[in-house]
Amino acid sequence: RGLKFVARKLTGRCELQRICYNNKHGARRTLKIGRPTHCLHLLRSALSVHPDKVEKSIDDIMALKKINLDTNPQLGISLQASLLQVVGYRSLVGEVEKLRREPYDCENAHHETLLMQLWKELRPDTPLTGRISKQWCEIGFQGSDPKTDFRGMGLLGLHNLLYFAEHDKANALQVLHDSLQPKHNEMSPSEWEQKSLDKAIGFSFAIVGINITDLAYSLLVSGALKTHLYNVAPELPSLLHFQQTFCYLMQEFHRFWTEEDPGDIMEFNRIRSKFHHRILKQLKHPDTALCPHFSASDLHLVNL
Amino acid sequence: MAAAAGINKQGALATMDTCARHGRGAHGSTVKVLECGVCEDVFSLQGDKVPRLLLCGHTVCHDCLTRLPLHGRAVRCPFDRQVTELGDSGVWGLKKNFALLELLERLQNGASNQSGIAEDALKSIGECVIRCDEDESHTASMYCTVCATHLCAECSQLTHSTRTLAKHRRVPLADKPHEKTLCPQHQVHAIEFVCLEEPCTTGPLMCCVCKEYGKHQGHKHSLLESEANQIRASILDMAHCIRSFTEEVSDYSRKLVGIVQQIEGGEQMVEDGIGMAHTEHVPGTAESARSCVRAYFADLHETLCRQEEMALSVVDAHVRERLIWLRQQQEDMTILLSQVSTACLHCEKTLQQDDCRVVLAKQEINCLLETLQKQQHQFTEIADHIQLDAGIPVTFTKDNRVHIGPKMEIRVVTLGLDGAGKTTILFKLKQDEFMQPIPTIGFNVETVEYKNLKFTIWDVGGKHKLRPLWKHYYLNTQAVVFVIDSCHRDRLMEAHSELAKLLTEKELRDALLLIFANKQDVPGVVSVEEMTELLSLHKLCCGRSWHIQGCDARSGIGLHEGLDWLSRQLVAAGVLDVA
Repeated sequence: RGLKFVARKLTGRCELQRICYNNKHGARRTLKIGRPTHCLHLLRSALSVHPDKVEKSIDDIMALKKINLDTNPQLGISLQASLLQVVGYRSLVGEVEKLRREPYDCENAHHETLLMQLWKELRPDTPLTGRISKQWCEIGFQGSDPKTDFRGMGLLGLHNLLYFAEHDKANALQVLHDSLQPKHNEMSPSEWEQKSLDKAIGFSFAIVGINITDLAYSLLVSGALKTHLYNVAPELPSLLHFQQTFCYLMQEFHRFWTEEDPGDIMEFNRIRSKFHHRILKQLKHPDTALCPHFSASDLHLVNL
Repeated sequence: MAAAAGINKQGALATMDTCARHGRGAHGSTVKVLECGVCEDVFSLQGDKVPRLLLCGHTVCHDCLTRLPLHGRAVRCPFDRQVTELGDSGVWGLKKNFALLELLERLQNGASNQSGIAEDALKSIGECVIRCDEDESHTASMYCTVCATHLCAECSQLTHSTRTLAKHRRVPLADKPHEKTLCPQHQVHAIEFVCLEEPCTTGPLMCCVCKEYGKHQGHKHSLLESEANQIRASILDMAHCIRSFTEEVSDYSRKLVGIVQQIEGGEQMVEDGIGMAHTEHVPGTAESARSCVRAYFADLHETLCRQEEMALSVVDAHVRERLIWLRQQQEDMTILLSQVSTACLHCEKTLQQDDCRVVLAKQEINCLLETLQKQQHQFTEIADHIQLDAGIPVTFTKDNRVHIGPKMEIRVVTLGLDGAGKTTILFKLKQDEFMQPIPTIGFNVETVEYKNLKFTIWDVGGKHKLRPLWKHYYLNTQAVVFVIDSCHRDRLMEAHSELAKLLTEKELRDALLLIFANKQDVPGVVSVEEMTELLSLHKLCCGRSWHIQGCDARSGIGLHEGLDWLSRQLVAAGVLDVA
């Protein structure tokens, strides 16, 4: 407290001003503001407020700190953006959690359409023979009824997969294509046929997707994704951003898997945890944004 | 003898009578010549007093033999103490003294002949040679019905040569009419009738006087001849019956002999390929059963020996390793001790030096102190780490392997269809928390400690494509946990076929099988009993140790009961309670 007082006297700026001016916008700034060590009571309450009331609480803070809005126009805007990010992150966690908790329901027509849509996106040329069909295995579900595979991740898994298939179609089809290919490309198809029974190929698209959803979800809940989302979303981070993150993770994991070149599918968990650690390490760095591989149009989407 | 009676139709009655009397006579007057040397009772042809031969040649009655003290499987001769081995059937297996028996029989026959001379005479008249009444040296061939005499052809010619006598009707001997027996009450009348009344069964014969006026007056009656014929017929029937009965009995006894032989075994003449006959020892069933038992226990013994050796070697290895380590520590301590004492010595030396030198030595002393502190630190660290305990706790598994240390390690594989709840069970056991289930790709492995057991549980994904890979996890697995989703009735058959496939695996032949019927908390699920029925588990898991346990991975109910069962199966009885 004493230190802060001295600092204030020296720079003529209050703590908030120091944070806002000394840090670039994005994760660095928002992370500092979001840290709950601030003595300012009002700011702490502002962090837990509804997005609509953010502007009002900014005014309150300004008044309390006796900061002139005219002399410091940048401060208000920065503070507002950061606060919105913090608040938005929290609501995003809630939103994702709600989706996850919603189990897949065969009776629900909406769920069914989503599932059918997923098939159409991934296999536009082959019609599905039935709701319960062995064909589901082709896109990497465990059995003939995909319903059972959604258990822990609920609708979140389905939404993510569908988003990936719809908005990052090229990549999704590439991943799916690779997952159906023999692991060793140099092997001739006939040779592969002989060994294929023993060595399950690559990985299964859909359940890997659900596993990666779990990964993304745990990153989000643990707060590790804050860096990424604060850097990517200028204001309120939304479900869209989370789904973008998922797409990125899928691509990255696919690349990582190919690099690791595992003997068979049984090594999935080892590779998954290795991947997890790598992502966590990346996210430790405050400038990280997990989207360097998106095409220009997709980046545009993010910035919208 | 009864058979003989049947042959001679005419003399049947008489013969039967003779036989009966003959038997009675033989029985009543046993020849008291040959006696057992022990009990001094007379030998008999059969029964307790039958003479049996010992190896030394002495003969003792069966009864006395049974009373001789057994020396292992042998008896000693009461006369010369020689040992005779007994077979499986004991005293009954000793050979009868047939020479003696034959002698005995002959003697008995001779005796009965003497005593029954009257009957013999009767017999010879009745059925054998009939002498001519005129001349004893001739044999009769005819019978004169008028004179009632037996005659030979020559004497018949002689006696009946006169004109009056020549009219006598003479018939061949075979056609001789029956002699009429006369009524004892009315001497002139022959017995012609038989009384059928109940009170007269003791004396039914009567003549015409008895019938009309005597004691059988008004009684119901029939003709003597027809009655006799009737009785004859019935006797014939009986004889027939008896014959078949004796056949049956002898057949049966023959079979008994055969079976005894089969049990005891013995020598048998066998002809080999080139026609050379030679005796061959055929082992009896008793022998083979015995050898079977012997082989089994020898095998068991061998296995036990091997297991004991292995267990001992494990203990040896453990002891060796531990001793080596301890000795190493000991050495380290000695080195440390010497280092410390050198430092001490150095310090003392410095103390005695003059001021200038002490000041100069300051740097050195500091350095020394520093190393000393470091060493002290290391020492305390080591001492904290090691528990100085000489105890070697030993536990045994059910298959007689020894395990050293407080925790016994067990390798378990969890298998089942996708979505059955394998991973959820694993993490519930591990962290006692309910994980959000996601499809397992590949496998999870965790160690779970429970009581004095340490389960290493491999949880392999249930996806269809992964199932062929299950077999990589079978190796050295002591138990398989098969998880079944009780909610999905329609997938039970799929689970059944997977389980059946598992049970045929060679690597899992000795593995325990624990079946978790998961999700029992959901209303309307397949109950444990119903599932046992539906999967026909009793048939499927026949011959291996298995258990089905209802559980609920969400709340953890039933999981520890399952582990309890596993530990009971794996650890030798009584060891588990140590923990």
